[in-house]
Amino acid sequence: MDNRSELDGKVSDGVTAGSAPLISVRNICLSYGNFRALTDVSVDFFPGELVGLVGDNGAGKTTLIRILSGIIAPDSGEVYFDGQRITRFYPKLAIALGVESIQQTIGLCDNLSVTRNYFLGRELVRRIFGLRFLAKKEMRDICAKVVRDFGLREGIDVEDEISLLSGGEKQTFKIARAVSFRNRVIIMDEPTNHLSVRERGRVNELAVQLKQQGLLVIYITHDIFQIHRIADRIVILENGRKVADVLRDAMSAEELEEIIRHGGVGPRVP
Amino acid sequence: MNPLSFVRRHPETATIALVALISCLFVALTRGQWLSVGNLQSLLRLAAVLAIMSFGEAIVIATGEIDISVGSTFGIGALTFLGLAPVAGSGLAVIAALVSGILIGSINGIFVALIGLPSLIVTLGTLFLFQGIAYAMTYGFSFAATDAVRQQLVYQAIGGSTLAGLNPAILWAIGILVGLQLLIFETSLGNRILAVGGDAISSYSRGVNVRKLKFGVFVLSGVLAAFSGGLEAAYIGYADGSFGALMELSAIAAAVLGGCHLSGGRISLVGTLMGAFLLCGIQSFLIILGFQPQWYILALGVIVVLASLVDRSLGRLIMKKLG
Repeated sequence: MDNRSELDGKVSDGVTAGSAPLISVRNICLSYGNFRALTDVSVDFFPGELVGLVGDNGAGKTTLIRILSGIIAPDSGEVYFDGQRITRFYPKLAIALGVESIQQTIGLCDNLSVTRNYFLGRELVRRIFGLRFLAKKEMRDICAKVVRDFGLREGIDVEDEISLLSGGEKQTFKIARAVSFRNRVIIMDEPTNHLSVRERGRVNELAVQLKQQGLLVIYITHDIFQIHRIADRIVILENGRKVADVLRDAMSAEELEEIIRHGGVGPRVP
Repeated sequence: MNPLSFVRRHPETATIALVALISCLFVALTRGQWLSVGNLQSLLRLAAVLAIMSFGEAIVIATGEIDISVGSTFGIGALTFLGLAPVAGSGLAVIAALVSGILIGSINGIFVALIGLPSLIVTLGTLFLFQGIAYAMTYGFSFAATDAVRQQLVYQAIGGSTLAGLNPAILWAIGILVGLQLLIFETSLGNRILAVGGDAISSYSRGVNVRKLKFGVFVLSGVLAAFSGGLEAAYIGYADGSFGALMELSAIAAAVLGGCHLSGGRISLVGTLMGAFLLCGIQSFLIILGFQPQWYILALGVIVVLASLVDRSLGRLIMKKLG
């Protein structure tokens, strides 16, 4: 336990200086029935920062980002966005605040076309006789451009159902959608799953670019070595608890891996 | 466009082809009697009334739910209309009938969308509940339109007259079809209704209010069922407690025949209209040939099972070719 707080202490001093957190979670707890998914988790996230959220399966990473994107509400604890306390959690609010997330298993409706998926929840409309109809052509053109810019294969017709895309294409599409709307926070949950080695490199570059543009990027992954190369700070969750929150330069990837391997009781920080 | 993509984007294609084929068969087997003006007039009217109710069913199916209570909502709509028309006038009676549909739809919506119970169970319950109320309301007698009521413009406009040989119900069905077609396929609301049926959690994660939409489609289904009940009542001129019995099965069958997937997210309103026409066509065909009406129920069962088989095989074939 002592070790844990020591790691924690190492934290954010370097980062907090000069800027206020964009998102701040305080003492978050959440259980699914008897299973405690998150226990007393507190983290600050700052604008212009790339934070790696790392941990084993079942560590609570996905649960934490589902809270941040409004899909589920915590049982207890507080969440602040830009200093404002959030008391009701729903995705529409998160999107309105500028939090865009790329989730692993959810986010696409297989029955809808690529274009309709792209604009779901924020459809473009035009008025005809005072009634608001979908601006189909405009939506199609914008979506086609985004799909092209992100290098999806030529043959894709954005009017086709998204179910016709491969796993990797769907993943790329989700990333394209999240990035192309103006946002303040991008949350990526295992964004490189289903992707080829080259595509992985591109996603990681993109994450760094977004950070440089001043966005907060929260990047969830298993791969400590991959994230250690690009992140500014690394938060490790283990069994629903935060076990480390360290600046990248403070520890090597190997040391961080030790922490994960030993369930949070890592080597002593010099 | 690739013809397979076309069929996939327009699930009603198969139903339209089937309707054309079966119509020819019926004309041949009845030596043209099926195509007579008299038969077509009654067939189109029946199909129109069934279609309006089935449109509501189709939109509920679009969200991945089902509404079995439409049969008794149809009956309650008819009884409310005919019960109130002599005392309050046809105009107020129609409004009251629509309100009865909104109320039944809201009850379904509260239990399914807000409380989260399965729609199959909830609407089965409300089907029995309101059928029971309908029987109780009409115990020993039926509601009938008086001569004075039949003269009223509103009464005539909703089914108690003919326009150029056609019952107004047909025009209502076309108008409602156009409106709903625009709503479902040309507005953001429609996009979200389809999205909810395709993947409720994903659409929720994109900011769609799943509960509100599901509540809304049950209310819409209730209104349309009550309105079609009113149309039928105005045509026939009387209604009793058995009004609308088993109509829910025809409505679901019309939607399924029309290419609506019960799993949600993929529906066709034009196909649903065709499905309603096909079912009423079979009914009149059996009548012309002198079969007992009970055979219709048997035919209905066979057709629904066959249609879902064909639909699944066609869907798989297309995915295989396109995938």
